[in-house]
Amino acid sequence: MISVSGLTKVFGSGDAAVHALRGVDLEISEGDFVAVMGPSGSGKSTFLSILGCLERPSAGEYYLDGRDVNSLEDDELADLRNRKLGFVFQSFNLLPRHNVLRNVEMPLIYAGVPGDERRKRAQELLEQVGLGHRLTHKPAELSGGEQQRVAIARALANNPLVIFADEPTGNLDSKSSLEIMELFQKMHRAGRTIVMVTHEPDIAAYARRVIYFRDGKIVREEAKDELR
Amino acid sequence: MNFADLIQIVWENLRAHRMRAVLTTIGIAIGIAGVIAVVAVGQGGQAVIISEIEKMGSSLYFDISPDYMRGETADSNTFSIEDPTIIKELSPAVDKMAAITLGPMVDVRLPNSDKNTIMASLYGTHPDLIHVLNLSIEKGRFITDLDVTSHSRVVVIDAGLAEDLFPKEDPLGKKIFVQDTPLTVVGVLEKAPSSMLDAFSVRMVYTPITQAQDMLNTRVINQLCGTAVSEEALPQAISDSIKILESRHSSVSKSYMGTTLEEQLEMVGKVTSILTTVIGAVAGIALLVGGVGVMNIMLVAVTERTREIGLLKALGARRRDIMQQFLGEAVALCLLGGLIGMIVGIGGAFAIALAAHWPPLISVWTVLLAIGFSVIIGLFFGLYPASRAASLSPAEALRHL
Ligand SMILES: Nc1ncnc2c1ncn2[C@@H]1O[C@H](COP(=O)(O)OP(=O)(O)OP(=O)(O)O)[C@@H](O)[C@H]1O
Ligand SMILES: [Mg+2]
Repeated sequence: MISVSGLTKVFGSGDAAVHALRGVDLEISEGDFVAVMGPSGSGKSTFLSILGCLERPSAGEYYLDGRDVNSLEDDELADLRNRKLGFVFQSFNLLPRHNVLRNVEMPLIYAGVPGDERRKRAQELLEQVGLGHRLTHKPAELSGGEQQRVAIARALANNPLVIFADEPTGNLDSKSSLEIMELFQKMHRAGRTIVMVTHEPDIAAYARRVIYFRDGKIVREEAKDELR
Repeated sequence: MNFADLIQIVWENLRAHRMRAVLTTIGIAIGIAGVIAVVAVGQGGQAVIISEIEKMGSSLYFDISPDYMRGETADSNTFSIEDPTIIKELSPAVDKMAAITLGPMVDVRLPNSDKNTIMASLYGTHPDLIHVLNLSIEKGRFITDLDVTSHSRVVVIDAGLAEDLFPKEDPLGKKIFVQDTPLTVVGVLEKAPSSMLDAFSVRMVYTPITQAQDMLNTRVINQLCGTAVSEEALPQAISDSIKILESRHSSVSKSYMGTTLEEQLEMVGKVTSILTTVIGAVAGIALLVGGVGVMNIMLVAVTERTREIGLLKALGARRRDIMQQFLGEAVALCLLGGLIGMIVGIGGAFAIALAAHWPPLISVWTVLLAIGFSVIIGLFFGLYPASRAASLSPAEALRHL
């Protein structure tokens, strides 16, 4: 479902040019759970934001769900992100001025889902992540683990094909990390495709495939046959 | 995003920065209030002055005065008492004409009473004045030619003065003292339709011009005023009058100027609209400063919220959605400021008008213009920050701290 080849990304130009990706080839099939590991600065986040259509590659091919991503206009990419992709970030990235319900509603608003249906769906999602009782709280009133659960509910709003997560447990203690990973595991079992960057081996252990980055390239890949 | 959602999101965002929103709103409100108040008071003043002048007479009215544009002032040689009669005889274009010797502030009182002195304006004049100024008599009569030639000690008073001096009696035949000269009341004028001069309590007394000159101890005639036989004849009437005056007073070589009511109205209109424009421009600058304030706030909001914009884009916001949201915030601030400014401005205009005794003229147009303008300020000053916000790539925006 995801297919990239010869993917490169260069930031800046001339002497100041930084080669964040130096030719990445990868196939990810539907329902897969891929963990991306590697030393700091090896290009993991850059790779994830290109896969997530948050950024365009400098060169290389990218097919997502059968579509040539490079040929899409900005607004088409926005639609793609809205309907097919979900994001979970290390720093949660909730909207501080809006309450929890509204945060989860946001992708539904951009998708044009009418008000009643939208609130119902957002509420359901929040109940699924165990936050049905915190709908009207502002993000600042929640713990880190709770905030990340809101972010997961939000990522699932439009029932996307793929979830992209960049160090989703990076800011959390081990107990909250465990809760979050249980949610990821549930998503995976439900058949959702997941690509997740992490530094921690025991988090990566939840995935079916682990790919290792070094200096902007994939240097190694491990596959696990068994689910934990 | 539909309109109701947009409004809700804008509202939630502004509410989170209440103080900032309030201060920005105040900036806009002051500007809008200033513009509305100035324009309303200016237009009200203009309307009052114009209606005052219109009351003076018909479109046939004109007056002749020394050419003050060339620095001339009236002295005892400028006009003579016979001038109106001669001009009427010689010019077929002139219908009625009267000379005026003006006593701007004279004391009027009843005999045997030193208290209750009333200030009034004294018009020493000819019988024709009643036609020239469109006055009408309620009781008695106006001044006659005989009064003028015989220096009669008679006076015609206006309705306000009649009420002040003789609240219960018939004033006709009674004596009053004007500048300590006893005069007999022979006529009372009809009450003019309510006028700004009533509010200022300016009372008028009219005497034969000869008698006025005796009382004021002067030979100066301030101006001639008259009517033409028709509107077409008005320029002819003025030029004839001036020619006749110039030849009659050639030994002292005076120059004269004639003014029609139309010209006076135009001049008043010009002066007051220049004033309104100038003060309005100052208020407009205040509005502009308010607008820059809005732009500043929006720029701060955009910079501060770059990360948030990146996130919204990651969630599927298109360029248009981001623009709408930020423009929505700017327009909401300006519109709110505009509404508050409108209320304060209208209130201010009423307060000023009340103090100055004239009706505030708040036209629907002024208000619509002010509100429309505040929306345009919002759009204009919100556009740049909004467009800057919308053109970032999501990954770039998300990297912002
Ligand atoms: N916007 C940018 N401009 C310039 N260089 C950048 C930019 N973003 C990333 N880089 C560089 O590209 C390289 C890869 O960065 P990336 O964030 O992908 O690393 P990472 O593997 O996610 O590291 P970490 O584990 O620390 O998050 C780094 O050298 C980084 O400095
Ligand atoms: Mg990273």
